[in-house]
Amino acid sequence: MASDAAHSQPAALAGLRVLDLSGPLGQYCGKMFADMGADVILIEPPQGAATRREPPFIDDEPGVERSLSFAYFNTSKRGVTLDLDCAQGQALFRRLAATADLVLETEKPGVMARRGLTHAELTALRPMLVMTSITPFGQTGPYANYEAEDLIALAMGGLLYLGGYPDIAPSRVYGNQACLGASMFGAVASMLALTEAEASGEGQHVDVSMQECVVMALETAVQYYDLEGTIRKRYAGQQRFAGTGVFPCKDGYVYMMAGGIGANKFWALSVQWLLDEKLPGVERLHGEQWTRVDYLLTGEAKRIFAEVFAPFALTRTKAELYHEGQRRRIPLAPINTPADMLASPQLRHRGYFIEVAHALRGRPLLMPGAPYRLSRTPWRVGRPAPQLGEHNAEVLGEIGVVRDELESLRSRGVI
Amino acid sequence: MKLPLAGVRITDFTWIGAGSYATKILADYGADVIKIESATRIDSLRMAAPYKDGKPGINRSGYFADRNTSKRSITVDMKHPKTLALVKQLIARSDVVANNFTPGVMERFGLGYEAVRAVRPDIVYLAMSMQGASGPERDYLGYGASMVALTGLQHLTGLPEREPAGTGTNFPDHIPNPCHAAFAVLAALRHRRRTGEGQYIDIAQTEPAIALLGPAVLELTVNGRTLTRNGNEHWGAAPHGVYRCAGEDRWIAICVMNEAHWPALRRVLGDPQWMAQPRWSRAASRHRDRRELDGLLERETARWNAEELMHALQARGVPAGVVQNAKDVIENDPQLGHRGHWVKLAHPEMGETIYNASPFRFSRTPTQLSRPAPLLGEHTRQVLRELAGLEEAQIESLINEGALK
Repeated sequence: MASDAAHSQPAALAGLRVLDLSGPLGQYCGKMFADMGADVILIEPPQGAATRREPPFIDDEPGVERSLSFAYFNTSKRGVTLDLDCAQGQALFRRLAATADLVLETEKPGVMARRGLTHAELTALRPMLVMTSITPFGQTGPYANYEAEDLIALAMGGLLYLGGYPDIAPSRVYGNQACLGASMFGAVASMLALTEAEASGEGQHVDVSMQECVVMALETAVQYYDLEGTIRKRYAGQQRFAGTGVFPCKDGYVYMMAGGIGANKFWALSVQWLLDEKLPGVERLHGEQWTRVDYLLTGEAKRIFAEVFAPFALTRTKAELYHEGQRRRIPLAPINTPADMLASPQLRHRGYFIEVAHALRGRPLLMPGAPYRLSRTPWRVGRPAPQLGEHNAEVLGEIGVVRDELESLRSRGVI
Repeated sequence: MKLPLAGVRITDFTWIGAGSYATKILADYGADVIKIESATRIDSLRMAAPYKDGKPGINRSGYFADRNTSKRSITVDMKHPKTLALVKQLIARSDVVANNFTPGVMERFGLGYEAVRAVRPDIVYLAMSMQGASGPERDYLGYGASMVALTGLQHLTGLPEREPAGTGTNFPDHIPNPCHAAFAVLAALRHRRRTGEGQYIDIAQTEPAIALLGPAVLELTVNGRTLTRNGNEHWGAAPHGVYRCAGEDRWIAICVMNEAHWPALRRVLGDPQWMAQPRWSRAASRHRDRRELDGLLERETARWNAEELMHALQARGVPAGVVQNAKDVIENDPQLGHRGHWVKLAHPEMGETIYNASPFRFSRTPTQLSRPAPLLGEHTRQVLRELAGLEEAQIESLINEGALK
């Protein structure tokens, strides 16, 4: 947990209330708001959010309070259960929305309308309310009702085509990055709309497409087609340019970047390193052709670089190559495993991994901490992810639902 | 209508990938982003392919252009003695100062946080170096591709029996870092509106990407398991993968996530005999024998046109998507077309080229790009007249002295 000193400091998003109805596409968006100090209320169906069924689980045993994915992506949120498909649940939701600044939802297009919970209906109660809807393809259009998992959005957004080995099917980037991209752009878009609402007094509806978010990660592929008429392809298992790529070493792999991007001095520095190491054949890396991108792209250039560098790399560890490369101002990086990251002196120095309590486990969970450090309004985990319905009485009490009512809502399955 | 960030000004020292893509978001939504450049220290992205018509030139890179819409560019030589005072005049009229240098560079310019705060006490100061402002590796350098390696993404992506594949791109530059940086700046600006206080934001560009890998970290810290890459597999669902279709390098992604998807897939594929085997009707055995299943399924998909198969599967509610390449997303995708994702802007040297609009739409605020990427130093005179109050003659003499290179 963050230190006591941090707790006495203000939070950047203090005073903002967010109703987070989101699933996999929006949970990190809610976390970004919550860890910056907004009052984020996770609203789950009475049987629990689908995100509670996502592994890994504590000791590999499934259970609504055992998902580590849920525990991570829902820190700092309060949690209530509410059946939004019944009239009473919808009425309670409207009362909550009347106190909120942002509603975050990831239902299929049309679901919120069937519930009578569209942005237009909710702003009648709260004119400044912003509602952000994150869906696979957006609210309207020919694919608006198409189904998508993370892999489908990576495919349709064009990023999948750029990843993996050329001789077989493309490989997706690990870790639901399409869902997370939708969450991150959803958070930015929501903050833009909240900023605008503060000035104009009017909220608005934000429509985020996961596919379109993935498109933002195509780097230069779109420009290569537009400007030069070529289609960028995947190249894993090969150097991207001679000197830039994955090389096995003594205890794993490193990513060598003798080429860098655009104009730079890394090539000369890299050749000097290999000279200093007195590597056989290093003189083959001399010559004017090595300054030309078209040459660096040839199989011959890649083969020559590998013949000189690869045997050397095998005699060194990831850490040795990393620190020596960096000492020489070459952007070489180790290909870290999660265990390497936990052991990283850099991340350790920055206190990056933090402990967050977990009611069921007893011992705290060690997880990634602040993705940004704000000197005046520090990021912090305000509380662990909520247990199912943990804040029902507290949150509904704040909108005037009394204890007897709670009991009756519970018995009718509304909460 | 007024854009959300109208009235916000950013003195922007960011360059290359992540920093420029972060301030692009803010520029596209109304911030006046003044990109501080120099012919003596060219943003290396200006010298990165692809170029208009394949011809290199500092104003011809598509990589640079897409990351710098809606911004103004001025050139100053930070080593010239008169420059610092000029830049401080811009900062005095700015709300945000942004950079993504390794730590120490801004200090050498005389523009560390304390120096900037002396000029503008309520400044929001965004620093986004690769490893952050502190720690033994703070001076280390790298690109997005280095961060893919450092953060575990590369180790976790690809096939276990082959070398780690990574994303094939500088992935953290494109989504994780720009989004985290923009969000942090927007949050800090809110705090400033409420309290009058600025602050210093330190982003280590490795840290947002690791923050996205929370479950993999917890799998290790709680369950003691170091994950490795597993291709396109899903922990519980099968088939879940990428399958060959008819044509050159054409593929479809298919995800059978529940018990309705499997019979729907069977019907679309015309109920081939092998699919009727009882073991394939159970999720657990499909997952157990997923490698075998993938091979069998690919024999079916290979006969299909990818788009036709996607539409047929989607019509029955099965998650399926063509593995689209750049041409597909630009020319053939009716959904991106419907959303108006691709924006054509006329650039003085590149002519009309394609830019990304932002990937979200507002019900009132328009999605627009106010101008194409700036030419190097295109707005030097304009900005110095407007914000530093210089007369044409003063600008001329600064040019002659070499301060505005």
